[in-house]
Amino acid sequence: MKRRDFLKAGGILAAAGAVSPASSLLHAGKVETANVNKYGMVIDLTRCDGCGECASACRIANNVATFPDKKIDNHLLRIARVKSKFPNSQEQAIPLMCMHCDHPPCVHVCPVKASFVRKDGIVLIDKHRCIGCRYCMVACPYKARSFVFKHHEGSSNLELPKTMHGVVEKCDFCVNRVDHGQIPVCVETCKKGAMSFGNLNDKDSRVSRLIASGRVHRVREDLHLGAKVYYLGL
Amino acid sequence: MKIYFTTIDGKSKGMYALLSVLAVIAAAGMYATYAMFSQGHYITGMNNQIPWGLPIVVAIYCIGLSAGSLVLSALSAVFGQKEFKPFARIAVFVAALLLVGSLLSIILDWGRPDRVMLPFLYLNPRSIFSWNGFLYSSYIFICIVYLWAMFTGRDAWIKPMGIIAVIWAVGVHSGTGAIFGFINARELYHSPLASPTFVTAALSSGTALMILILVSTFKATGRFLDNRLIIGLAKLLGPFILVVLYFVIVEYVVRLYTPSTYEPTSFVLFGGNIYTYIFWVGLILIGSIIPCIILFNPLTKNSVPWIMFASLLVVIGVFCERLIFVLPGQVFPLNLFPDMEMTSDFMDGVITWYQVSLPEIAQGLGILSIVAILYIIGLKLFALLPSEARHLEHEL
Repeated sequence: MKRRDFLKAGGILAAAGAVSPASSLLHAGKVETANVNKYGMVIDLTRCDGCGECASACRIANNVATFPDKKIDNHLLRIARVKSKFPNSQEQAIPLMCMHCDHPPCVHVCPVKASFVRKDGIVLIDKHRCIGCRYCMVACPYKARSFVFKHHEGSSNLELPKTMHGVVEKCDFCVNRVDHGQIPVCVETCKKGAMSFGNLNDKDSRVSRLIASGRVHRVREDLHLGAKVYYLGL
Repeated sequence: MKIYFTTIDGKSKGMYALLSVLAVIAAAGMYATYAMFSQGHYITGMNNQIPWGLPIVVAIYCIGLSAGSLVLSALSAVFGQKEFKPFARIAVFVAALLLVGSLLSIILDWGRPDRVMLPFLYLNPRSIFSWNGFLYSSYIFICIVYLWAMFTGRDAWIKPMGIIAVIWAVGVHSGTGAIFGFINARELYHSPLASPTFVTAALSSGTALMILILVSTFKATGRFLDNRLIIGLAKLLGPFILVVLYFVIVEYVVRLYTPSTYEPTSFVLFGGNIYTYIFWVGLILIGSIIPCIILFNPLTKNSVPWIMFASLLVVIGVFCERLIFVLPGQVFPLNLFPDMEMTSDFMDGVITWYQVSLPEIAQGLGILSIVAILYIIGLKLFALLPSEARHLEHEL
């Protein structure tokens, strides 16, 4: 083999090597967008009696920073009690969490892109990137975010990392469970079957059918955030 | 006219006493900051309902003062007010220092200040904070280039640099106002008027602070300062105050008129709480009405002690304006279910008061002391101060 041929062959090989991973990436991207999941939740408030077991289970499963001082105690999921200003009106229990908006203000304001929307619509915080400026807490209309105000000893779930003093935390739809084919711990815990979780892009999923019923509402729809947590009977 | 700039001697006992007092306050502030990180941020007055407290107020306050003093420097370079040329150097220097102070306050307020480089590594073009990181740091850089042009006598550079600096100051201020104005979730933040209000409040507080700094510095160093220059600055201050007042009135009237924002607005204006007093006494009476009476009254408007007093009131009043801007929007609970009553374990639907804590106050005063120390050191190292500041007419 002549020197020139050798170089030519080498060049072709190198080019092929450079192109093939790139092309495989393109291919992978196409496949993924074709049948990507988009996760959402529907909460049937007519079944919810506000027992709060979902919130307690969430606290244990997600290593939520828990302190006796209510002002700095963190909540990824909380039960709000809402009633109209009409006299003698009934109180309604409403579980509230991160609504995983399509247009999340928290992600828009984050100066370091520590908050981001995953391809499947789950809004996450990279707590190794978060600088703890708390702008997202100011921007979130659902008060879904909490700041870890001090070092929190111990962890209730050893499979997840501990909380970190100085960064913001929030509901992540139990993303580690979802990635292992499970459902969020609050949905699993609810004995009344009030919560359902699933793929909004799948027309036959339970959540899609409930939303298609047309009787669902979201909290503060007036803000046009595209929240993915829907409520039946709100 | 030739202006001679000289360094200060800086060997008097009074100055060493002042420096040591400032150093003690700065050390206390740094210790308070250390305590926040070692013990936890629960020792501050902030909590999950009120994520932004005094440090953010101090930060945006310093930014305001900074932009205002920079515009003062540009008066001679850009707007042709040649009589203010003696103040050009010192005003730019103060502008840069105050911005350093505000950056310190912001960064030390973060939960993780060790990640200070990340905003520069991961820009988010939709985040006004990301823009501000760029605006603030480049603003300091522009101030330094501007100073360098003045020091090295590059007269051709001074006017363009002054124009750039003024544009940047407006950008920095609009950006700071937009931090709050962009937040749709909170009725007391969301407003297109936030940015213009910040720009004008910056002009009034910055001019007032420069009057205080100039008169006290010239007096302390025994240099001659022509009263007519201070009176000239005071003539600017009066209209600035009125513009701020006008913006505030427009903002609050619109909010009172709108049913969806009536409740939080009346909480501030007529709630009978601390914010009501800060608004009516701090911002309206002390910060606007009394200074205007002093600055427009023929008996007092040409008296430097009265102008000093009015400037002090304006500096206090704009601080109250910043408090009103940042705090009530968080103290008043978020409205998740409009026109309904809401309670929860997470302070929903109830007013959570912000109780300012000693560490936060110490941190704020410490940062201001650091700025003051740098100011004195700057005067000693660089020829920032004119040997005397005379009105142009003396030359004629």
